[in-house]
Amino acid sequence: MAEGSILIVDDEYGVRSGIRTILEMEGYEVGEAGDGAGALLALEERDYDVALLDYRLPDTDGLSLLQTMKQRGCDAMVCMITAYANIDTAIAATRQGVDFFLPKPFSPDDLQGVIETLLRHRRARADAERLRAEHEASLLALAEERTQTHSLVSSLRDAVMVVNRDGDAVLANPPMLELLGLGEDDVLMRPAQELLGGGALAPLCEQLATPARDRTVRQLELGEQTYMASIVTFRDEAGEARGRILTLSDISEVRRLAMEKQKFIRTMVHELKSPLGSIKSLLEVVLDRSLGDELEPYLPMIDRADHRIDTLVELIRDLLTLARSEQEPFGDEPELVPVAPVLDEVAELARERGAERRVTVSVDLDPDLPPALVRPDDLTLLLSNLVGNAVKYNREGGTVTVRGFVEDGWLRLEVSDTGIGIRKENLDRLWDEFFREKRPETRELEGNGLGLSIVKRLVERAGGRLEVASVEGEGSIFSVVLPA
Amino acid sequence: MTTRATVLFVDDDRDFLESKRLFLEARGYRVLTAESPDEALRLLETETPAIIFLDLMMEHVDDGFRLAYRIGKDERLGHIPLVMLSGVAAETGRRFDGEAGGLREWSRLARFLDKPVTGRQVLAVIEQLAATEPAAMRPAV
Repeated sequence: MAEGSILIVDDEYGVRSGIRTILEMEGYEVGEAGDGAGALLALEERDYDVALLDYRLPDTDGLSLLQTMKQRGCDAMVCMITAYANIDTAIAATRQGVDFFLPKPFSPDDLQGVIETLLRHRRARADAERLRAEHEASLLALAEERTQTHSLVSSLRDAVMVVNRDGDAVLANPPMLELLGLGEDDVLMRPAQELLGGGALAPLCEQLATPARDRTVRQLELGEQTYMASIVTFRDEAGEARGRILTLSDISEVRRLAMEKQKFIRTMVHELKSPLGSIKSLLEVVLDRSLGDELEPYLPMIDRADHRIDTLVELIRDLLTLARSEQEPFGDEPELVPVAPVLDEVAELARERGAERRVTVSVDLDPDLPPALVRPDDLTLLLSNLVGNAVKYNREGGTVTVRGFVEDGWLRLEVSDTGIGIRKENLDRLWDEFFREKRPETRELEGNGLGLSIVKRLVERAGGRLEVASVEGEGSIFSVVLPA
Repeated sequence: MTTRATVLFVDDDRDFLESKRLFLEARGYRVLTAESPDEALRLLETETPAIIFLDLMMEHVDDGFRLAYRIGKDERLGHIPLVMLSGVAAETGRRFDGEAGGLREWSRLARFLDKPVTGRQVLAVIEQLAATEPAAMRPAV
């Protein structure tokens, strides 16, 4: 049975039903219309593979109808049938997109032959169209994928270079171009060996050319930076190596942090071990009875051991505070804290500690000083640290002044002293954990070098900043600047 | 009690110095202490101890080595056995005694002792050095 749908457009009922009978016997689906308007209606209802158009219709002619059909997106094969055939109409019809011309009268065989031919053409056309569409779609997808891959690779922070089987660079993202100091045009399709050779990247050349494994990783130094270089071979579905991807990740910061942590732990261990060693030494003298059997001579040593234990406990407490100041405490939110009461308390304690050396502590707050937005415990801790330092590093009979005022929308709390000051070269290191200025003036002063590290973190946690100004031998001013 | 020999301790920890002094004085040694390399050098202008114990890390990380080098170069002091005390080996996992032979030779160190160092350890080292280098252990003037 033949397959296909045919629309017959002819004003003569006899012609229509004749054709319909023949075609239906062959197994075709048939629709019919008596004029142009009917034909367009029929085409709205469904698509046809072939349209047989009479040249003369009551409301229009075949060629005008064809034009309208095409405009409406009809893609049926069109065969013109007419009793008034002449060569001029045939030429005109073909020019306008008629696929076949069948002069009346025609035999059933003629008709069948024409329909078969047209249907074959249509199938071929549809196939070609489908192939074209498929091809276009895959091209589009490919282009899209390329664009996506390209923007993905470009947006990577790591430097990436893709090398083909011949060892030529086929892709290099901006970080890689920057690293090589080259433009994209200088890189593409150039041998990777040439691009990487010579400098610090040279060790990668060999691995790129003949990698021992599908994935190699090595660390290398480029100027100040440390990079992790990885070379990965990529393969096609058959497992054939297609090329290699070189990725350089800057791990300098990670390494710096790791080293800093190492150093911190080393120092911390040293700071914990030294007093323990001394306590052990002091106790050894007692246990050894080096000074005889009486207790009295040992008392100063036991006193010292006791004191060293206190400083150890303090160190451990500060280490915990330091660790806690690095994270946001849960359930402990900043609040608006009036500064005056906190400062009064802190100043009172500092006065007690300064009394022996006649260091005076005065507080001068702007009467309209707004409250500080900070965790209450943090404010107490950071002020007692700063005021405590101002007393500790002061001279005999010196003064400590705490001022509070608003400047440029910020709440400033300035703690100034008339003490030994800080050496210019040490101002930057003041916040480093365990840092203490080693000077004759500080020899007798105890401390673990964590106080200012803690203060700085607490201030920053409150969204503020810590500033210092100092003149060696004259004094220092530490300013806590908090959001008002 | 007869004075056996003079021993110098250089360390920035006063409690450590004081306890070692008392421990060794109870055993008849004369003990000098210095809290800094400078103080040690001042003492050494007039003193010639039989043995010097020095802390590696004082004000600066390598104060001990610097001091050892200066003493080693000195004509009058160069023969004195030096014992370096340090917690560095345990803290860094680095060993100074075996591996860093060059360093030892350079600074002429007789021994390395890992802190914390007990009085008994100190005593053992003094007795060992006295046995191997009797000349160095001659009583102080």
